[in-house]
Amino acid sequence: MGNGVTAMLAYEFMQRAFLAGALIGLIAPILGIYLMLRRQILLADTLSHVSLAGVAAGALTGMNPSVGGFAAAVVAALLIERLRKGYRTYAEVPVAIMMTGGLALAVVLMNFGRTLSQSFNSYLFGSIVAVSETQLWLIGGATVVGLLFFFVFRRPMYDLTFDEEAAGISGVRVRTLTTAFSVLTGMTVAAAMPIVGVLLVSALLVLPAALALRIAGGFLSAVVIAIVVGLTGIFSGLTVSYFYNMPPGGTIALILLAFLLLGIGLQKASVFIRRKRGVTEPSI
Amino acid sequence: MILSSMENVVFGYGESPVVNGVSLDIHKGEFLGITGPNGTAKTTVLKILLGLLKPWSGEVRLNQEAFDGEKPVIGYVPQNASAFNSGFPSRVIELVRSGCHSRLGLFGRFGSEQERLVRDSLEQVGMWELRRRRIGELSGGQKQRVCIARALVQCPNVLILDEPTTGMDVRSRTALYRLMKHQVRHHGVTVVMVTHGLEEAGRYLDRVITLERLETESVETSANIGKTAADDRWEMG
Repeated sequence: MGNGVTAMLAYEFMQRAFLAGALIGLIAPILGIYLMLRRQILLADTLSHVSLAGVAAGALTGMNPSVGGFAAAVVAALLIERLRKGYRTYAEVPVAIMMTGGLALAVVLMNFGRTLSQSFNSYLFGSIVAVSETQLWLIGGATVVGLLFFFVFRRPMYDLTFDEEAAGISGVRVRTLTTAFSVLTGMTVAAAMPIVGVLLVSALLVLPAALALRIAGGFLSAVVIAIVVGLTGIFSGLTVSYFYNMPPGGTIALILLAFLLLGIGLQKASVFIRRKRGVTEPSI
Repeated sequence: MILSSMENVVFGYGESPVVNGVSLDIHKGEFLGITGPNGTAKTTVLKILLGLLKPWSGEVRLNQEAFDGEKPVIGYVPQNASAFNSGFPSRVIELVRSGCHSRLGLFGRFGSEQERLVRDSLEQVGMWELRRRRIGELSGGQKQRVCIARALVQCPNVLILDEPTTGMDVRSRTALYRLMKHQVRHHGVTVVMVTHGLEEAGRYLDRVITLERLETESVETSANIGKTAADDRWEMG
């Protein structure tokens, strides 16, 4: 096994995949925590679908498809923020509109370039070999920008996530921050596409965050747990998919799902055992 | 001294106004109650005062002189503050500490002064003992008290509370009114509180504004009722 792993890491495409996975594994779970707490998890799926249209448009116009996907996700994020103004009561409506529009556009554009269909599989389901140098730079850029954003704006983002209205009154620039957050979501989603694919990109955001939010005591510990779970899931998923010739996106998503179920099971067992032993929280 | 005023304000969410020609003044250093039956747009009036909603017509003014030219610090406890996401990953103390964010800015150091403020605020609302508890494990009334502590820790000039006693028992409600009265008397804070419980809160309030639904289905202020001063003993249970 040891030799196998060494051999696996000797391949340049695997080195790129692991590097891309490490970068995405750092930023996607953090983003996922904020998306879940802000009840915006559908945003990730929507932006990945729109990004697919960008990939197709890029390929058809002779532009780098990855750059096209990246640009489309960022523009869509900005548009959703703008549309949110008009649908204050039904905040999910602009997200659904963009998802439908993005997917429809992708399907139509794919039809124009029939030769694209083959390479689309790697975008839809992810592929280890799909991680090109350009994509690696895009992933690196998105991760550095994201980590800086969440470090610098950790305080206003906490306030915004807890209560947007109260945050605005206490001086947080809500509109600017939510727009920047949406753009960052677009960048991260587009960057994660080559690894897990359009259809499973939200797995990287949702599953580590869902587990972390269940078991963490504080905000920082939730972030750390989500990153550890995300990185472990990505690395083990890439390894398994290499050795057993499985699609990386599905493998990573299934491993993360198993972590989540295991975590929930252990948590429930721990509560059960504590109750059995008569350990209760101090009452007031 | 008038701190903020609203003149002939008209506002609505659809085609017809829900607030029609409302005028009111808030005086510096008073404990003001806003009351009225359900559907009289009390929360809407608060949100207009806070600048969260823009009126169709009329004026909302903030008297900068009342703040000595400095930017006012407003502590806000929204209606159903306790209905926040129970899965929010924070302990009580972490959430209350976040009330200091606006003063600390992006990189200000959280020092002993802030720690003292956090402790004071939590003790004032009787939640210091539960500071290590996850907020999702608290009862509705306890959550409400944590939100009030988070507002207090900002050392606000103005505290705006929208039905803050939701989910609280009688003892906690009385303690809250006393605490607010103390903030007004000893710290010069202006407190504006939307409340249905005038029979309980009335003796602590300096003034009450009653909003009433008129035949036109819009809302106007009906009266300013002067109140007697309450005693300022206070303690949180």
